Amino acid sequence: MPTRKLVTRYEDDLRLFPDLWHKVGLGLGLAIVLLFPFWVSASWLTVGNHALVAIVGAVGLMVLTGFAGQISLGHAAFLAIGAFTTAVLGERWQVPFWLCLPAGGAVATAVGVAAGLFALRLRGLYLAIVTLGLLYLVAHTLESYPSLSGTGGAKSVGMYVTFGQSPAEMRDVYEKMAYGPVILDWDQKLYFIFLVVAVLVAWAARNLTRSNAGRTMMAVRDQDLAAAALGVNPVRAKLLAFATSSFIAGVAGGMFALQQRTVTVEYFNLQISVEYVAMIVLGGIGTVWGAVAGAVAFVILGKLMQTLAPSLPYIGQLPTGLQTAVLFSILVIVVLVIEPLGLFGLWLRVKRYFLAWPFRY
Amino acid sequence: MTDVIMLAAAGLSLGAMYALVALGFSVIYRASRVFNFAHGELLGIGAFSMTSLLAAGLPWPAALAVAMTLAGLIAAGVERAVVRPMIGRPVFVTIILTLFVALLLRALMIVIWGVQPRAIESPFGEAELAVSGDAAISYQTLAQIGVAVLAMAAFFALLKYSRLGIGMRATSTDQEVAQALGIPVGRVLGATWFLAGMLAGLAGVFAAMKHAMFGHESTLIIAFRAFPAVIVGGLTSPVGTVIAGFLLGLLEIFAPVYLGPHLGGFGHNLQNVFPYVIMILFLMVRPYGLLGQRDVERL
Repeated sequence: MPTRKLVTRYEDDLRLFPDLWHKVGLGLGLAIVLLFPFWVSASWLTVGNHALVAIVGAVGLMVLTGFAGQISLGHAAFLAIGAFTTAVLGERWQVPFWLCLPAGGAVATAVGVAAGLFALRLRGLYLAIVTLGLLYLVAHTLESYPSLSGTGGAKSVGMYVTFGQSPAEMRDVYEKMAYGPVILDWDQKLYFIFLVVAVLVAWAARNLTRSNAGRTMMAVRDQDLAAAALGVNPVRAKLLAFATSSFIAGVAGGMFALQQRTVTVEYFNLQISVEYVAMIVLGGIGTVWGAVAGAVAFVILGKLMQTLAPSLPYIGQLPTGLQTAVLFSILVIVVLVIEPLGLFGLWLRVKRYFLAWPFRY
Repeated sequence: MTDVIMLAAAGLSLGAMYALVALGFSVIYRASRVFNFAHGELLGIGAFSMTSLLAAGLPWPAALAVAMTLAGLIAAGVERAVVRPMIGRPVFVTIILTLFVALLLRALMIVIWGVQPRAIESPFGEAELAVSGDAAISYQTLAQIGVAVLAMAAFFALLKYSRLGIGMRATSTDQEVAQALGIPVGRVLGATWFLAGMLAGLAGVFAAMKHAMFGHESTLIIAFRAFPAVIVGGLTSPVGTVIAGFLLGLLEIFAPVYLGPHLGGFGHNLQNVFPYVIMILFLMVRPYGLLGQRDVERL
């Protein structure tokens, strides 16, 4: 069976885009992604921005759950920390957004490492419960201090571009602006900023899987005792996974805050954590590609279902909030029962079919 | 003293609910190695079907029995339809699956019973038992604690002495060996989920009666606050989870009163997170729980 070109050198094995097909795919993908904001309507552009936030968040969870095998239901907590750090920094000190995002990541990392220290001795279901507890603790702490979470439970988020902008000047960022020959409105600007962040994060995560640090995480995931016996330090690998994952999640939370312009503590609940876990499971656990595909599929399907659901039999009669939830639950359950590797598994099947063509296998 | 007695009664009745929920969790975990995140919805099904059954004119004990059976049947159905095909799959797949089953069950409940809050009337009314001085405990609270303890005692007796119980214990120790010895593992798993669902249904009725009116949230909250009891008690020990359930119930009632005022802003609504705080403190000392086994791992 022709699988791929014979790899004779280690450098070839490590290449991100080893053959022509990968390069063609890269080019096509780039073209689509760059032209997307000029093609589509405003509501679909919002969906695109959501998808980019979801990609970053899902990659963050993938590092922890997919690479290091640590189940987390507390992902929303890190998102919340990133979001509120961004909001508070912008409100208090008019910190520009490109500094807010990594700052949110840094605060989330601090919490993530602290949580990781507890989680080191736990695995599987215990960890799921402890991270769930973390989610409740973070939400409770944020709600307890209105200076952090805003009065009345909502906090507005400013997006400052440079230092020393006044809140009134900051408003300009939401206007349409010309950058050389291109005129971009607010959503399009946001799209390109998010695109850069998402590409950087996905690239970093992909590189992580090719590096020593990532391989120790996977060794710990597959069998931590065996990994320890082979000289991998499981404590370090797990802590690194927690730190990386919570940093990325913090950045995603900050992006979410910038996009929404108002954040509430209630938004970051178990439902959000579950959605992120569903994304990486749908996409295919253990690969960056899976996180990206899962996030995009999840967000786009969500939008499609919102428009489709009212016209479907039975489901259309449910209250609107429930329609998508029900459709999604059914979809996720069916995918998990049929194809445990998710979209990545489907992709592998398609790829194998064409590689082996005209034979069946 | 008056305060302490009344708080203790409230704590024990809350602890009884936690114990019922936590016992169900841990029994399901021992049998199927699945953490059933749809457990909170079973509570809701118990509570909401109770309102319908009472409205249909059934006497209280009969309605309770039917509501419990219904919750049990749903649990067994979930096991058969969703959990059993997942045997041998990674843990997070089963976690996700039960979480989404929970979403579906919640939708189902909203379709059947709507979103309006409902009420279950106590069969004892407002009657209270005077204990000492001003302290009085309602018969309702006493009955809740009594029924919960009875139900759990019955469950443990069944686990210890009946054929089914022996089969359940054998299955939770090693499914393959149990199967080889002729124990119908599938049926035992179904029965385990059924019994856990019944306990959850009972807890759901109690949780609903905690307030004059209850909605979909109030039963879920009880279930999510019962999670820590499972960890504190030890995931592998049903007795431990029951003890931890009562303990957490008592602590949750006492802590906001005696500890909350000293914590400033964080102490406000302390009961929302207190079980989790206790759990995290506990994990630092005994990660395997009160009576749980230390995990021995083999390569």
